[in-house]
Amino acid sequence: MQEITIDMLPQLFESVAAVMEEHSERLCEMDAQMGDGDLGLTMKKGFGALPDLLRESDEPDLGKRIAKAGLKMSSVVPSTMGTLMASGLMAAGKSLTGKTAIGPEELAQFLAAFAEGIQKRGKCQPGDRTVLDAIAPAAQAADSAAKQPGASLSSVAQAALQGAAQGVEATRNMTPKFGKAAVFASRAQEMVDQGAVVGQLMILGFVNYISNQ
Amino acid sequence: MKKIINAPEQYTDDMLRGIYAAHPDCVKYTAGDLRCYCTANKKPGKVAIITGGGTGHLPLFLGYVGEGMLDGCAVGGVFQSPSAEQIFNVTKEVEAGAGVLYLYGNYTGDIMNFDMAAEMCELEDIPTRSIVGADDVLSSPSVETRRGVAGIFFLYKCAGAAADQMKSLDEVLAVAQKAKDRTRTVGFALSPCIIPEVGKPNFQLESNEMAMGMGIHGEPGVWNGPLKTANELAKESLDILLKDMPIPQGDEVALLINGLGATSLEELYILSGAVSSLLQEKGIRIYRTFVGEFATSMEMAGASISLFHLDEELKALLDAPAHTPFYTQR
Repeated sequence: MQEITIDMLPQLFESVAAVMEEHSERLCEMDAQMGDGDLGLTMKKGFGALPDLLRESDEPDLGKRIAKAGLKMSSVVPSTMGTLMASGLMAAGKSLTGKTAIGPEELAQFLAAFAEGIQKRGKCQPGDRTVLDAIAPAAQAADSAAKQPGASLSSVAQAALQGAAQGVEATRNMTPKFGKAAVFASRAQEMVDQGAVVGQLMILGFVNYISNQ
Repeated sequence: MKKIINAPEQYTDDMLRGIYAAHPDCVKYTAGDLRCYCTANKKPGKVAIITGGGTGHLPLFLGYVGEGMLDGCAVGGVFQSPSAEQIFNVTKEVEAGAGVLYLYGNYTGDIMNFDMAAEMCELEDIPTRSIVGADDVLSSPSVETRRGVAGIFFLYKCAGAAADQMKSLDEVLAVAQKAKDRTRTVGFALSPCIIPEVGKPNFQLESNEMAMGMGIHGEPGVWNGPLKTANELAKESLDILLKDMPIPQGDEVALLINGLGATSLEELYILSGAVSSLLQEKGIRIYRTFVGEFATSMEMAGASISLFHLDEELKALLDAPAHTPFYTQR
């Protein structure tokens, strides 16, 4: 696969929704240790709604269509994590305004803007043990991969996934600063952050779609 | 819980249906969503001012949508933020070519959603500016983190008048900022309120007790203790207000005595009289007094006192005509 066009966006996020659905129970269990225990359900619901939100949109611009679907997703899942993922999508979409397709460079750009969107909305920094700790290293890895000669959508997505996986592992040694997790800071030691896992799973969804086409 | 409702989960939407039925000349909704509340009299070329916030505070927030004040309001459930999408839908309906000012209370959820809506506006080339009301002195030592309560009425009134006079977006923002810098509020609660979907009071107070500094969602105040007299409350509140915002002798203020929902007008006027006497003693002139309900917490008993330090510009804006379902100024 060379690139993802506007008509393929619903399928791209169907792939993400499938991964969220598959891991929903695991996310809920991880979340129950630290917070509400509904993370898997909200991510399944939010990403599950995205394909139709993208399909039903009459927005002709690829980037704006992603941003608008992100805005609507925030209404579907108004929780903190839902708002952060929606903000990531809005920023990512905004960065792709005017593009007609997502190629290797655009995928790296998407992830970098997604990370910025989360950082800005959540007022969090890398190392705060949040979803940003998966997305930011993924974006960096994607950026390096996109600059390699012969970079492809697949090589960039794979690099991003590897970056995200390393980022998730690194959260084991991070102390939470936000939300209920901060209250249970001592429990967080040795475990990976469930929010970061969500970021990794989103990228896994991208990889699955790109490699299956 | 004893409330005149149909079902707790219909509280917000049934309230909105009632307002649209009562005031079709003033307001309407857009995007097929009752909670996207808009003026029915859009004025081309005017800066649009949009607010938003949870239900349970009438006349806040939607009550000041109308001529000479606000253009739209995204309405959340009881004590909940409206969604970014609702704010964006209101924006698209009421913006009239001169940009949009988001003017709302300083609450985390509202800020996130207004910021998201502003980002969407940027994509659509609609210029926006944002400012939050943060007048509740006892909610935090720092203005940055103070909650917005009844004093936002003065921001609405003055920014609304400036927009109505066809001032530019940045001029309207400057007026709102000036009004914000010169408004302070102190509030106290005598009894709790009940969120319909919760069904029981959100906090407890003994029958002879009150809570100084309590927020309009029942956020804890600075002290709980035996009920004080109107004179004592006026003095304590005014001391706090004037310590935070000193007002030189001879200067003028607007005074707002706001009921939280279950406190009688009689009591509000008793309080107002007490505050007036104290201001007079201090040589601070009262240009206008507003007494009534401006920002409530459903059936919470209690009141708040807001001082608005005026100058000639703000006086003129305060006196400019306005007409909304909840406030008329001739």
